[in-house]
Parts: sequence; C-alpha cells; structure tokens
Amino acid sequence: MGGQACVLYGGVEFSRDADLAIVTDPENLKRLRDAMTDLQASVVAVPPFEGRYLDAGHAVHFRCAQPDVAGLRVDLMARMRGVAPFDALWGRRTTLSLPAGAGPAVEVDVLALPDLVAAKKTQRDKDWPVIRRLLEASYADASEEPNAARVDFWLRELRTPELLVECARRFPEAATNIARTRPAVALALKDDARALEEALEVEQARERATDREYWAPLRAELERLRREGAT
Amino acid sequence: MKRLSGVSARSPRPAPLRIDDIVEPEWVEWYHLTPTERWAASERMWPTYLDFGGTLDPEPDSQSPFGDAVAPGSRAPDGRAGLRLVRRSGV
Repeated sequence: MGGQACVLYGGVEFSRDADLAIVTDPENLKRLRDAMTDLQASVVAVPPFEGRYLDAGHAVHFRCAQPDVAGLRVDLMARMRGVAPFDALWGRRTTLSLPAGAGPAVEVDVLALPDLVAAKKTQRDKDWPVIRRLLEASYADASEEPNAARVDFWLRELRTPELLVECARRFPEAATNIARTRPAVALALKDDARALEEALEVEQARERATDREYWAPLRAELERLRREGAT
Repeated sequence: MKRLSGVSARSPRPAPLRIDDIVEPEWVEWYHLTPTERWAASERMWPTYLDFGGTLDPEPDSQSPFGDAVAPGSRAPDGRAGLRLVRRSGV
C-alpha cells in the first residue's frame, strides 16, 4: 500500500520496505502470523502483533530473518487516517500483473490511486512531494484521455500550481463545482499563482495538523507500551 | 475537443501545458513509464543502492508518528538475496 505502490504509480523511484493494508479478522490474522513465521519475521517495536492495536490504528513493524529476505522490513496497518475501511479499499483496489523477473510473474493488489494519495496525507515532510508526483504522473499518463472521475480526482488533489491552473482551464465546469469546497481551485480558475501557492500550503498545513492530532493518543499509547516493555 | 458528461472543456483554449514544461526531465521520463516498466527500473536500482551502503532499515524520521518505536536494526548480510523475495512476492 505504501512505497511499493508509489513506485508503481510513479510517485517515487524506490522503496526499501513493504507496507501492507490488512483486514484483522481472526482467520486473516492467523494467516498473517503463519506467513510471518515462514519469513522468520519478528516484531521489532511496539505495539505487539495483536488485532486490537491494528484496529486502533497502529502499525505493527516486522523485520524478516529468513535468508532470502534477511533484513526486509514489513509493516502492517489495518486503519489509516482519512482512508476508507479495508473492505472499501479492497473493492476498488488496482491489480497489476508483473512479469517474471528474478522470480515468477505475480499479480499484486495495491491501493487505488486516490486511496494511496489519501493515505499519504500525513504529518511528514517527505510524503507531500510524493503526493505531488503521484498526481503529476497521473496527469502525464491520462491527460489526453480525461474522464469525469479523473478530472474530479485531479481537481481535488493536484498540488502542482501550474497543472491545477491548466486543469481548471480545461475543465471549468467541474472546476467551478469543486472550487466551492477547495479554495485552491477557485484561485486556479483566476490564475492567481501566488495566492494559489499559499492556498496549497494552507491545505498541507491543515492536513498535517489533523494528522498530528489523530496520532497524539496513539503516540501516547506507544510511549506507554515502550515504558512497560522497558520495565 | 473531448466533451464529457458533467465535464466541459472551454474552447478555444491556449496550447495545453505539457508536463515536460514544468517537471525535471528525469521525472518526466519516469512518469511516462508504465507501472511494469517502473517496477523493473526500480528493481535495477537495488544493486547500486546496496553497493553504496544502503540498508533496509527505515530512514531516520523525526516526524514519523511511530516515533522511536521502531528499533534500528542491523543491515541485511546480503541485501540482494532479500531483494529477490521482494521481486517474487511483488510487494
């Protein structure tokens, strides 16, 4: 769901770990536990691998020791701020067929691009350029074949001022509708570059503050678990 | 000009902005790859990454909500072997 999905969608060139969005019913947790056992993976930090922590929004972090994957990090999450529940994510996932390389051909399921963008709206500096690039890649890939869903996605999420202006210019009716809830689009329609950049910064600051607020009780719980583990 | 349900395009309009006009060339090239091509290209970066001392541990990030919950780990003794599973599993 994370960095590897960003590679496939064009937002980054490289990711060194594997992040999985999972469902936490007992049967699936057992399958995951068995898979982690196969990988000789152990939890490397708090919280422990328990459904209640995943359901609360925590990530569980593993490091693999099986020789073929020694050192590989795998992170599991079941809930992400601002992102739909797992069943909805699964229903609209993207499935990609990757040809045989060093291993056999595989099909991989990754978050739909809008869900990936939503998941990346975190408090971290490093996620925001990735969002911008994911949108640029989407626009570069499909700007000649727009449809209502793509135009809606671009107008709601583009973070490159020039492209947002371009998109608003091309699709003024949709832009006018979305401008009612996204001030940056209203400014794109006016081609007000300076104000548009400020509006995008305000959007980012608001999301990051919301993410910090969301994580405050989770961080407190992590701190408690860490203290308990140390005693 | 393409007209879509609920999505109208103004006509005439200025020459469309091209992604090449505003994005660094290396990113333009990356954007124009297919997902499969990106995956293969990313795979090819691994040997260089590891040769230059890259690790599989997360990069330090003071803004991560996980804080210092994630303990630092040792480098993979053979990161390339680990990469093979990444390829096989397609994660």
